[in-house]
Amino acid sequence: MAGEASCFQAQIESTIQNYPGEKRYVLAMMQDLQRKCNYLPREGLEEIARHVETPFARVYAMATFYKAFSLVPRGQFHMKVCDGTACHIKSSAVIIDQVYNTLGIKPGETSGDGMFSLETVNCIGACAIAPVVVINDKVYSKVSSSGILEIINALGVNVDEDHQ
Amino acid sequence: MKTINDPEFKKILVCCGTGCQANGSMAVYKALASRLGPDSGIEVSTYTKATGCNGWCEQGPLVKILPDDITYCHVEPKDVEEIIEKTIKQGEVVKKLLYRDPVTKKQVRSHHEIDFYRKQHKIALRHIGEIDPASLDDYLEAGGYQALRKAFTMSPQDILDEIKRSGLRGRGGAGFPTGIKWESCAIQPGTDKYLVCNGDEGDPGAFMDRSIMEGDPHTIIEGMLIASMAIGAHRGFIYVRDEYGLAIINLNLAIRDARAHGYLGMDILERGWAFDIEIVRGGGAFVCGEETALITSIEGNVGEPRDKYVFPTEKGLWGKPTVINNVETWANVPVIIQEGAEKFSSIGTEKSKGTKVFSLVGKVVNTGLVEVPMGTTLREIIYDIGGGILKGRGFKAVQTGGPSGGCIPAELLDLQVDFDSLTSAGSMMGSGGLIVMDEHTCMVEVARYYLNFLAGESCGKCVPCREGISRMLEIVTGICEGRGDSSDLSLLEELGETLQVASSCALGKTAPNPVLSTLRYFREEYESHIREHRCPAGVCRSLTEFYVDPELCNGCGLCVKNCPAGAISGEKKEPHVIEQEICIRCGDCFNRCNFQAVKVK
Amino acid sequence: MKIVVDGQEITAEYGESLLEATRRAGISIPTLCYHEAFKGEGRCRLCMVEVNQGGRKSLVAACTYPIREEIEVTTSTPSIDKIRRNIIMLLYKRASGSLLLQKLYHEYGCPETKLQENPEERCILCNLCVKACEEVGASAISLIMRGTEKRLATPYDQAADVCVGCGTCARVCPTGAIEMVEEDNLRAIWHKKFELQACDHCGKYYAAKAEIGYFAEKHPEFDHPEKLCETCRKRELASKFMEYNTNYPGRV
Repeated sequence: MAGEASCFQAQIESTIQNYPGEKRYVLAMMQDLQRKCNYLPREGLEEIARHVETPFARVYAMATFYKAFSLVPRGQFHMKVCDGTACHIKSSAVIIDQVYNTLGIKPGETSGDGMFSLETVNCIGACAIAPVVVINDKVYSKVSSSGILEIINALGVNVDEDHQ
Repeated sequence: MKTINDPEFKKILVCCGTGCQANGSMAVYKALASRLGPDSGIEVSTYTKATGCNGWCEQGPLVKILPDDITYCHVEPKDVEEIIEKTIKQGEVVKKLLYRDPVTKKQVRSHHEIDFYRKQHKIALRHIGEIDPASLDDYLEAGGYQALRKAFTMSPQDILDEIKRSGLRGRGGAGFPTGIKWESCAIQPGTDKYLVCNGDEGDPGAFMDRSIMEGDPHTIIEGMLIASMAIGAHRGFIYVRDEYGLAIINLNLAIRDARAHGYLGMDILERGWAFDIEIVRGGGAFVCGEETALITSIEGNVGEPRDKYVFPTEKGLWGKPTVINNVETWANVPVIIQEGAEKFSSIGTEKSKGTKVFSLVGKVVNTGLVEVPMGTTLREIIYDIGGGILKGRGFKAVQTGGPSGGCIPAELLDLQVDFDSLTSAGSMMGSGGLIVMDEHTCMVEVARYYLNFLAGESCGKCVPCREGISRMLEIVTGICEGRGDSSDLSLLEELGETLQVASSCALGKTAPNPVLSTLRYFREEYESHIREHRCPAGVCRSLTEFYVDPELCNGCGLCVKNCPAGAISGEKKEPHVIEQEICIRCGDCFNRCNFQAVKVK
Repeated sequence: MKIVVDGQEITAEYGESLLEATRRAGISIPTLCYHEAFKGEGRCRLCMVEVNQGGRKSLVAACTYPIREEIEVTTSTPSIDKIRRNIIMLLYKRASGSLLLQKLYHEYGCPETKLQENPEERCILCNLCVKACEEVGASAISLIMRGTEKRLATPYDQAADVCVGCGTCARVCPTGAIEMVEEDNLRAIWHKKFELQACDHCGKYYAAKAEIGYFAEKHPEFDHPEKLCETCRKRELASKFMEYNTNYPGRV
């Protein structure tokens, strides 16, 4: 995976040079890097650890503790289904099931073609328009079990109804 | 220079909080702003502002026009021309955009006449929806930073006394008296002290803090500045959930403007006082809302709390005296200093002064943010302000306090909401979430939901919380799936007790609350699941069977259209039938039917 | 300062933990996640005791509670015993493969429950291994994830560059949860095989070469021209002692 590593070198360098080499900036560096690379590449975490002079194992522990981060590349369309209480009682679980039935992915997974990934998130704070799904920063309101199919189709992907 | 209160100008306020933006309000704002720009050719002087969340997301996008005091709902970009032609140019109302009261059926001109707003008393939310949060000028014109100027004329002890006398208690959940917290930090020796704003609002269903950080960021800055002078702190941090993108943007803009105009920095208002604020973004961990976890997260560690035998006011961030307060608490501070402790403490109950912002969500007609005096009853909030239960169904319970709280049943609807009354009812105030539940909500499933949430959020450091929550979840899930037995309830109660006394932090200590409160008020529902293998509310799929009552079904076909499994069949205008073998028990038809024809066996 | 524990007065230093003070006085409070080399972190909660501070009673973790007042402590009450029983039960269910937990499960009289057990697991997440590795200066391992997904690991579950194969983690572990296998001249631990050094005197394999090199670099003042196992090193030291004693009798 050397090719993959080197294609993030620029992003890693540009992230790190914005921050002093102090442990307290690790979270911020990881957030910036995640936004640039759509996940946290290993080389990035190693560079961050070196920059703040903290053991790699501790930085890795932070990257796995905080759920904002992904250690595997996310999909081109990253779907965040809100499972806050208001969304939950308006059946967000059905949306999650529907995504599995059509794309075959569970929360935390990315589809084989790299197009979609799914995450359940804690309350986004848009409870009045529950259930809420956010795809690449676009907020969809009052999403029903049939509505999610329409959204996925509209993103330009033909959904195979018999998908395993 | 334009001012908000200048009668010559028409002000158009477009709500651009997260909720309205999700419904396309940004496009409405842009359309209005560009059409009414400097070369508009319209004689009337106007200016258009994007404001923060009005708290009435159900009716958005909202557009308010002042000084006419007209409120339009569900506005779309295609309505912009008509608004300009009729309302801006001629002062006439566009009737179809007005709110129609579902009970009186009358159209209402201004949101001030709507019960949802009329019965509120806004202190923490006073500016939101009225000002452009990205504009320091707006904040100043609305009276901003006057409290700061007044605080400069007071001694640190004066400020502490004022906050103490006001009776302000922390709005984040614990309700600790703010003045006492500040004073215990002020008396600590040393000049290295810190202030923190806890913006890690994590309770599912709560969005009060998001709305304040998005819609009125300067009030937080002003509150922290006042505290900095009382306590002797020169550095502040605002810890914001990373998911709150717009809040982070607006807070950054506010800090930038405050610095540029002398409200933050080394020589504030040329009075020789130094204070500055840094924003720290959270990483997606509910536990970081707990103050010791928040501290260690800022320091650059995983968010594991510490035993709190020594308080952060003595040893907090980097071992220094630190005051941590919730966003809503900070938002109240300028008002207390500006208007005085007496006025603030004249509102509320004996031990809970002032107002509280609640996020009223769930199966209620008017969902949104509601700020009312402490002591208002649940009935008033849910029915008078909230408009009652959706689809005219029956009220079952209201969940308060988020995952640390409990469910309150119908017989307690006249409870006067304040810190102590909620605690004695087996729940707690928490950050202010009020999740309204109807008869289609299974209380066992609600307990399971919260345990599941907490199992994923537990930091995992201490045994009772890490192991105990997942085992309680195991038991309750078994009950929901028809595998419950007679030993389950006593085991739940015993584990609950261990968590309450032995956990290291409040997450673990309060984790049993949803289970224990539902056991207290809805025990028969648990029994039904265990003994009869039946879910009376029709939620737990393996214990539920839906059927269509042929007497009530009129064959409208709404259920068929939306059934994800294609399990319903029937002729138009004839009673429909659910095929049990295909039905996946998602409950969509049950919730959707306008005639209550789908029933639970 | 003086505090009273189970009716007995003992001395304590201001700010030290209740556990440190009681241990010094020979009073026993059960623990699983505590080691005298490190500060307590309050992870297992087995050391919960009742503290009476001027009439106000509370339950605290002895390993993290700092003594700052003259308190009265009770180390065992029916309520505390129930907590300890439930903690052992929860840990046993998590890691029923551990012999230590099996023993404690019976000792504490934990009642049978329907909760699932995991006989494959031994780790109780006491964090002692992580602290020990940190103390050694390598910090090759950490507790990753959170909640019940929390587990001990090297980054990416792969061999860690900084691991020197010293096995300190395995030795400090109370439940034998860390796998360290020695066969011939190789020690396998944490996804790596380390070459072992044979003792120059007796030929026994006694430490990983990487470990010896690491310590030599950190503490060159302790470096020795010969590579000796603990036994042979002691023997050599003893013979030097004997030699000295012979040459300079009476002077130790």
